[in-house]
Amino acid sequence: MRWVDVKESLKDFWFEFKRQKGGLLGIFLLVLLVFTALAAPYLTEPDIPKKWTTYWEGNPTNVPPVWYNYFTTKKLAPHKVLTYDDLKITAEGQDLGGGIKYYAFEFDYNNQYDLPPKDLIIKEIGVQLADLNSPAQIVITLYRPDGQKIELLSADLVEGSIYQIAKIGIVRNNVFNWASQFEDPKNLQGRVETIKSTMDVMEIIFAKTEPGILIDPQPLHGDYKFQVEIFTFNEGDKIDLKPMQIVLTGRTYGLMGTDYKGRDLWAGLIWGTRVSLIVGVSVAVLSVLIGIAYGVTSAYLGGWKDEFMQRVNEFVASIPTLPILILLGAAFKGHTTLWTIVFLLVMFGWTGIAKVARSMALQIKEQTYVEAARALGAGTGRIIFKHIMPQIMPYAFAVMALSVPGAVLTEASLSFLGLGDPTAVTWGQILYDAQTNSATINGYWWWVIPPGLAISLVALTFVLIGVALDRVLNPRLKRL
Amino acid sequence: MGYGRYLAIRLLNALLVLALVTLLVSVLFTKVAEEDLKSSIQEQINMKLRANPELQKSLAADPEKFQQWYQREYSRLIHAYGLDKPFWVRVLERTKDTLLLNFGNTKTPIFGETSVKKIIAAAIPRTVLLFTTAQIIVILIGLLLGVKAAQVAGSALDRAVSIIAMLTSSIPMWWFGMIAILIFSFKLGWFPSGGMTSTPPKEGFAYYVDILYHMVLPVGTIVFVLFGGWAWTTRNIMIGTMQEDFIMAARAKGVPERKVIYGHALRAAAPPIITMTIFSLLGSLGGAIITEGVFNWPGMGRLYWTALQQNETRLLMGVTFVTVALYLISMILADLAYGYLDPRVKVGASQRT
Repeated sequence: MRWVDVKESLKDFWFEFKRQKGGLLGIFLLVLLVFTALAAPYLTEPDIPKKWTTYWEGNPTNVPPVWYNYFTTKKLAPHKVLTYDDLKITAEGQDLGGGIKYYAFEFDYNNQYDLPPKDLIIKEIGVQLADLNSPAQIVITLYRPDGQKIELLSADLVEGSIYQIAKIGIVRNNVFNWASQFEDPKNLQGRVETIKSTMDVMEIIFAKTEPGILIDPQPLHGDYKFQVEIFTFNEGDKIDLKPMQIVLTGRTYGLMGTDYKGRDLWAGLIWGTRVSLIVGVSVAVLSVLIGIAYGVTSAYLGGWKDEFMQRVNEFVASIPTLPILILLGAAFKGHTTLWTIVFLLVMFGWTGIAKVARSMALQIKEQTYVEAARALGAGTGRIIFKHIMPQIMPYAFAVMALSVPGAVLTEASLSFLGLGDPTAVTWGQILYDAQTNSATINGYWWWVIPPGLAISLVALTFVLIGVALDRVLNPRLKRL
Repeated sequence: MGYGRYLAIRLLNALLVLALVTLLVSVLFTKVAEEDLKSSIQEQINMKLRANPELQKSLAADPEKFQQWYQREYSRLIHAYGLDKPFWVRVLERTKDTLLLNFGNTKTPIFGETSVKKIIAAAIPRTVLLFTTAQIIVILIGLLLGVKAAQVAGSALDRAVSIIAMLTSSIPMWWFGMIAILIFSFKLGWFPSGGMTSTPPKEGFAYYVDILYHMVLPVGTIVFVLFGGWAWTTRNIMIGTMQEDFIMAARAKGVPERKVIYGHALRAAAPPIITMTIFSLLGSLGGAIITEGVFNWPGMGRLYWTALQQNETRLLMGVTFVTVALYLISMILADLAYGYLDPRVKVGASQRT
């Protein structure tokens, strides 16, 4: 085949393909998917695969996406991280005499939500103590829009201290004592300990001061001001506020929410595209190429060799794939890599196409032009590659596209059973985590729906392309 | 090639697959058994030491002597349990156990049993109940819809069937099951989220109603995901048949259209449709197995899930072996049915079409 011929036939092909609306949609989706896969590091962060197996500290766990607020009547606070630049520093190393130095900063929080943040975390305060036995002091105070002031915490500050406000016993006590002055004593009777241990501190400090504040807090919207004061008592103590982080743990997070490890599911979704495409496409291409080579060889050799190869093919074809894959997966458990999965899927995937390629090659072999070529002295290789292959290749593309969905779904199924590559970010594995953490019966829809939709989208893309290719390249189907 | 020879080859094939799977399972079995035995040997040596304080005293004084004694005991027990035999000999020994379905016991009871054989025996009927019910519904809907679509090829219905087939064949069945639980169990609360009966199980007639009630979601899921593909396959086969000359002849004779379709065309298209039925039934078994796990239905699928979650390798081997055996039996049945239904079955000729 010369280049002009290729160009001509491609033009013809495109002319036909253009009329397949489904096929065009498939091409569009494919471009979108490939773009997502390539742009994953830029759309999210480049180190997601490394981070994926760990717990994402500081992130809220099992929370819905931010846009969920558009669909609920109860508005949920989003995740927010404040750094040095967001703080209003009011004192930095002010000398109070007697060796005592004073640092203070404030930050505002505009609470317009019905459910305030889950927690307030203050961490990474750069503390250097001259004497480890005499710690610095930290005082956290909240000024509420209604003029109320709550002294939340007054505690020791040492190197590496992390304050999770809602979890600290002293804070819980302080908040309880403050709130109980508004509470109806009837509500408290005999339940003080229960309330103390189960109350949501954050909801209470952001609540209206009225009876019921401890039992059923109603949100008080407005501007809240947190004041943090730090006192050091020794000459050599150093405080550096620059690296500090203040996390308002959200009740919602990002574009797709988080899972039980606090991982950003949006990042998982984007990165999962890579694995899905790589596995699907490589399995399809490899198994089709192997299948065609096998089928054509079998047809060309003929006789008992052909018979034998056919028997081998039938043997492999009658192996039920999934149970065997599960067994092998369990045997390799923990050491499975993506390429193991690709290898296994190819091992079972080449049989169907080999059968069709053989029967096509058998027909082509008998054509007069092949006979003519042979009479002219063409060798086996020339006949196979110049005459048989070019006829089979167009058909091969359709089969390739049509075998991607199966590979994608099987890979997802294996990952869903916990047998996938443990280090890869895959949609099946996200769903596996969802299943083992009972996401469905807890209603964590943001964890269940998107990965499955993504799997279906990839499969659908290739089904659309495959069916369109099949219609164009396989004229017999066109009239259907 | 005659039908007899065809069948013989298929049978041989099935036996070969079974042998391969048996070997695979036996290798895994040998590995597991070795691990179990080794830890039990350690335990036995420790027991012996603990039971004999004098020996303990004399050995504690001299670490080298202790080492020697330990090694002696260890190799004695290894020999006693046959672990010093070559690997392949042990695999062959295990093959017998595999073929007799003696997979031993699980570490923790499942369905109130620890014997793998009994667990699987309890699970099979439940899987069959769920899967067969779903398949019957799928086939009925698929056939009716497919024939209808073929009848009005090119119409809105026909196109809808194609689109539904494409969409549903792209959906992982087990994921759709999760969605069904989210919607109908969590959100709407219409159906239970899993299991086969309420806990505790109800008595008498209510027991069966309860099972039906628990079957709605899993069966609905399987039906939804599979019926489109069915209808589409039926449609394609039917359209092929409807273009045959004998249909034209029947029409020309003035046979009523209903009779042409259900009498002539469907009868001619039956063999491929039925074989397709059986084969895709087998094909969908995998997806259905995982779906069962999602719905916590106490069948074979749950066993896979449990075996993988709790590292019950013996159970996994048993379940896999039984699944493969069942699969092969059904495949032979499909071949038999095909040969019986289609008198034209000649492997040589059918390969060209």
